[in-house]
Amino acid sequence: MIVRNWHRYWFTPETAEHLALVRVVSYALLFLIYLPLDDRGWTQVSPVFWMPISAFRILSGPPRNLALIGVLQILWKASLLTSAIGFVSRSSMVTAAALGFFLLGLPNCFGKIHHLDGFPVLLLTILPLSRSTDALSVDRALRRNREMRSNREVRNGVTAQYGWPVRLAQTLFLLVFFAAGWAKLRNGGLAWMTATNMRSIWLGELFTQTPPTALGSFLAKSTWLSQFAAVATVIVELSALPALFARRLRVPALVGLFGLQVFIAPILGVYFTPHLVGYALFLPWERYYTKLRPTPSRAQGAPSG
Amino acid sequence: MRMLPVRFANLAITGFLAITCFDIATGLEHWPFGSYPMYSLLYSEQRSWLQLYGVTDRGEILLRGKRDFAPFDEARLIVALARLQSAPGGNQKLDEALRNLMRLYDRREARGSPVSLPLRALRLYTVRWVLRPGLKGSELPQERILVAQATRDGAGR
Repeated sequence: MIVRNWHRYWFTPETAEHLALVRVVSYALLFLIYLPLDDRGWTQVSPVFWMPISAFRILSGPPRNLALIGVLQILWKASLLTSAIGFVSRSSMVTAAALGFFLLGLPNCFGKIHHLDGFPVLLLTILPLSRSTDALSVDRALRRNREMRSNREVRNGVTAQYGWPVRLAQTLFLLVFFAAGWAKLRNGGLAWMTATNMRSIWLGELFTQTPPTALGSFLAKSTWLSQFAAVATVIVELSALPALFARRLRVPALVGLFGLQVFIAPILGVYFTPHLVGYALFLPWERYYTKLRPTPSRAQGAPSG
Repeated sequence: MRMLPVRFANLAITGFLAITCFDIATGLEHWPFGSYPMYSLLYSEQRSWLQLYGVTDRGEILLRGKRDFAPFDEARLIVALARLQSAPGGNQKLDEALRNLMRLYDRREARGSPVSLPLRALRLYTVRWVLRPGLKGSELPQERILVAQATRDGAGR
């Protein structure tokens, strides 16, 4: 029973195009989101601030070579683009994952982990493990003749190989929110969900984070609103776990989580832009693609029966 | 789907889930995995924070993370300074940190920021506000205690 449910959850058959579209959208979005990223400044920061995390502990100290970081950034952003179009796919995606780990992890080694970039790195690690370039890739187009002779059933087929990577990425994304909700209950207990606590967060951040609006100050005047926001935050975050299993809960949970993050931006000055790539995983890209695809191709790809 | 890809997929799924669930259950962080503990503590009606002030010819000015000390943002900079403060040999580390921050401040104009007043010294204060509805965020702290200071000539505190 467990094995059957496990298999049904992870290995629902999908088309190669489904996974390929997720690849295209994910890498393209990550490229746009991280285009302004510039880690070169960290080479000017004193080693006294160096507090390495994770695999960065193997380094003897912070990187000092400004030019090297500059080159790595260009390589990384280029690899995101080539991964999106599926050119030199395997190398591109491995490079995007390795350099993404390094460049997005580096700032976290200077005192504090910001949790915004964790999920994109996980996604960058999952995609190279998948067969996401079996469709809609430059590599595929270049090798089309050979593939059509030897591997036609994979190219046009529907198989579980194309389902699990997206399902895993979706699961990890929703678990991010469940973890956040669970951490509030573990560290703060039920008292976290009080108006006093919510008000203290909103008012405190006015001084420590300089948010773009004084909305927190306005909302904090209302005990009722503070209480509602505190309870709603935890409930919405915890709803991510049942949304993993109950398909009907998924859309309301995602809308709630997205709304929560949009709401947080003007109040606390925290921008969850990298999480856009996580929300994009749940959109029906194949449906959009079918609608946008030129009619002759659609006719070719349609089932004969 | 053939057996080998299934085994590989199962291995990958199990690995990712195991680390994720371990971090959630224990509250530990193995970046890029994590327990996402942001804003998870109970906050009192007082907020204590560290603030950096530059000493200029015109007096003290409040300085902020991203604007004045890039690549640091405010949250990362203050948490880093708090960790240095509580670390063994904290005073010495804070002195070195403040001197480095003065150099980062001097690079502001090179980064395209507006021309700023030159700093004679940099001071780190612990500040405290009593939080009550109606605050706008521009109020001065109720309490301010000097923690560390670095000057141009290298003298500390």
